Amino acid sequence: MEPADEALCERVARRDEAAFDLLVSRYQERAYRLAWSILRNAEDARDVSQEAFIRLHEMAGSFRGRSKFSTWFYRILVNLCLDHKRKHKWWKLWVRDDDDDRAETILDRQPAPVNDPVDKLSRDETLKALGSAVDRLAPRQRAAVLLRVQEDMATYDIARVLKCSEATVRVHLHRALATLKKTVEKR
Amino acid sequence: MARHPDDDLVPYLRGELSPAERERVARHLEECPDCRQDTELLRDLLGNLAHAIGQPPAVSWARYRAELRDKLDARRQRIGWWRRPMPLALSASLAGVLLLLAVWGGRELSRSGDPIGPDEVVMGQEFGLLQDLRTVERLDLLEDLEVLRNLDGLASEHQG
Repeated sequence: MEPADEALCERVARRDEAAFDLLVSRYQERAYRLAWSILRNAEDARDVSQEAFIRLHEMAGSFRGRSKFSTWFYRILVNLCLDHKRKHKWWKLWVRDDDDDRAETILDRQPAPVNDPVDKLSRDETLKALGSAVDRLAPRQRAAVLLRVQEDMATYDIARVLKCSEATVRVHLHRALATLKKTVEKR
Repeated sequence: MARHPDDDLVPYLRGELSPAERERVARHLEECPDCRQDTELLRDLLGNLAHAIGQPPAVSWARYRAELRDKLDARRQRIGWWRRPMPLALSASLAGVLLLLAVWGGRELSRSGDPIGPDEVVMGQEFGLLQDLRTVERLDLLEDLEVLRNLDGLASEHQG
């Protein structure tokens, strides 16, 4: 039987490098994908998700098992992502994020032809607009949506990752989805 | 009609509400066409969001792990010597040396005797005891109460 994440984390605290490698293999894809969804930049996502694993390596002893390992680890990761966004906000005001993987092309930024029913109904376009609307959400709202949609996390777990109450998570989700709904309805 | 259960719709769709809350929301949805429509929209939205967010560019996981290893090693080298774990033998030796120093220091202190406190100095000046060292030296005789009680007897014996 495969060892549970929590047991592996205990072994990492005892400096078991094989347990650490196993945890990295289990979470690398999810960590990178979630970081990318928040940061929207592949290089930043790689750096920040690797930093989350380094913190895991250093802080494994502080994991008390009161929550699931995944919740504890996602808290480290999401905090790092939100910190990263906060620190780099001022820089992005000066420099356009040219390597942003989802940066819009000049064509994308042109107003959509209003009378074109085919474009209006295009599912791809709607999804693209929805994706851009997710990018514009407030950081904690975006994190709540991503944890729900990508990681399929329950409200209780999202609350533990974001260190807030379940009621606050419900409000974040409601507001975020109300904003996204407007984007869809406009199209 | 009760207030619209806006914040509860997502947990409702996910089946996270308690039976009582679920019952309350379900009853509201039966009566409120706006919330019913909202719920359907939210269901579609949540379904579409995963596609809308998309997938990140592919990564070579072997390279990712190798980079992570390099970063971990670099971080370890940056850790100062005072934060590194100390071997048990070295810790025990250091503790032993500290213990020896503490014992030796304590002996030296006890040899030097009790220091005279400021109160005692003041009293000495007040009574002028230290001015007549002979008296002070003989004061210990007064401590022998038996001698004091029989002073008269001793005197007569001496005379007789």
